[in-house]
Amino acid sequence: MPAIGEAIYFRNKVPWQSPIPASELVTVDQARSWGDSVIWVDARPDNEFERDHIPGAILLNEDRWNELLPQFLGQWSPEKQVVVYCSAQSCNASREVAKRLREEAQLKNVFVLDGGWEEWLKNKR
Amino acid sequence: MNKNFLKLIGIVALTALAQGARSELKWEQTSVDLKPALGDKQAVAHFKYENVGKTPVHFKSVHASCGCTTAQTQNEQVAPGEKGEIIATFNIGGRTGTQVKTVTVQTDDPDTALATTVLTLKAVITPLLELQPALVYWQNGEEPKPKIITAKANKDAAIRKLDVASSSPDFTAKVDAGSAPNEFKISVRPRDTTKAVYATLSIKPDSPANAANIFAVAARVLPPAPTAAPASTPAIKSTLSTIRHDLATPAPTVASPSQ
Repeated sequence: MPAIGEAIYFRNKVPWQSPIPASELVTVDQARSWGDSVIWVDARPDNEFERDHIPGAILLNEDRWNELLPQFLGQWSPEKQVVVYCSAQSCNASREVAKRLREEAQLKNVFVLDGGWEEWLKNKR
Repeated sequence: MNKNFLKLIGIVALTALAQGARSELKWEQTSVDLKPALGDKQAVAHFKYENVGKTPVHFKSVHASCGCTTAQTQNEQVAPGEKGEIIATFNIGGRTGTQVKTVTVQTDDPDTALATTVLTLKAVITPLLELQPALVYWQNGEEPKPKIITAKANKDAAIRKLDVASSSPDFTAKVDAGSAPNEFKISVRPRDTTKAVYATLSIKPDSPANAANIFAVAARVLPPAPTAAPASTPAIKSTLSTIRHDLATPAPTVASPSQ
């Protein structure tokens, strides 16, 4: 009986599929499979973003954090997944931005793109 | 036996000569700890070196680990006995906390172990003001109760007052003293939650030394939740996916959690 009660109470909260913890990386394929429910966040410097970026990505880097964060939050939506990327596997900017979005803005569903922009370009072809 | 012994002496002598003639850049320090003052825009590290070898050293490349750091050499070539420095400038921007940046220097030293040097710049950046959360939001139709943003001022900044201005008349903001010294409570309230609205709240500390520092947070009333669609549509699929991925995310039709 308690198990049935729990099942009813948590019916909307049980991870039916393998869950992706908010702190983990996502691959390009995983993020793409989410389709329109993804908000791409480009954590690279302004000039790299201007050169090229994932279509629809929003610029949010720590160089201009105070200015860009409110702009991003104006476009954020709670039902969407946020995927942050920087230049490559070796860069740290996406992790930092993702961490600050979770901690300072208290957003959930914030992920880091594994391999960053480099990986996106490889998968684009 | 004698021949072998002479060969050995010859090799040792040649090696010693080569060692004596080689170049070598000796660094005063390869790691620098910086403590920028409150509100500083940059942190600058000086990495001093001297060529203690007998031949000139050439810099092949100087590469910073991130776009936020630039590094400059004074000369491309360092003569024997010459001293100089590499100046690394870290642009703080909106970064906070402990920041570790590296500069990789490559010279033409034939010894590969000596040819590459990694210089480390560590800076501890104390924020003038910590704001949390950076976003307050209301679901469409939710009761327009005030939500609180806590502002913790750095104790060295001597901030006694915060001025908060909303970019939109759709929100009002009031500042009260917090429960701890140097703490403020910013109470934000929407006038109406029946339409999607957004405002940037600009927060200006009264500290004269930091008059140029203006902080910003966001306030929003979200658009109405998407209406239920047939189970096979992507809209429903994405909603279910969100629930699966994050237990703490409320269903779109439920009122927003306390922030």
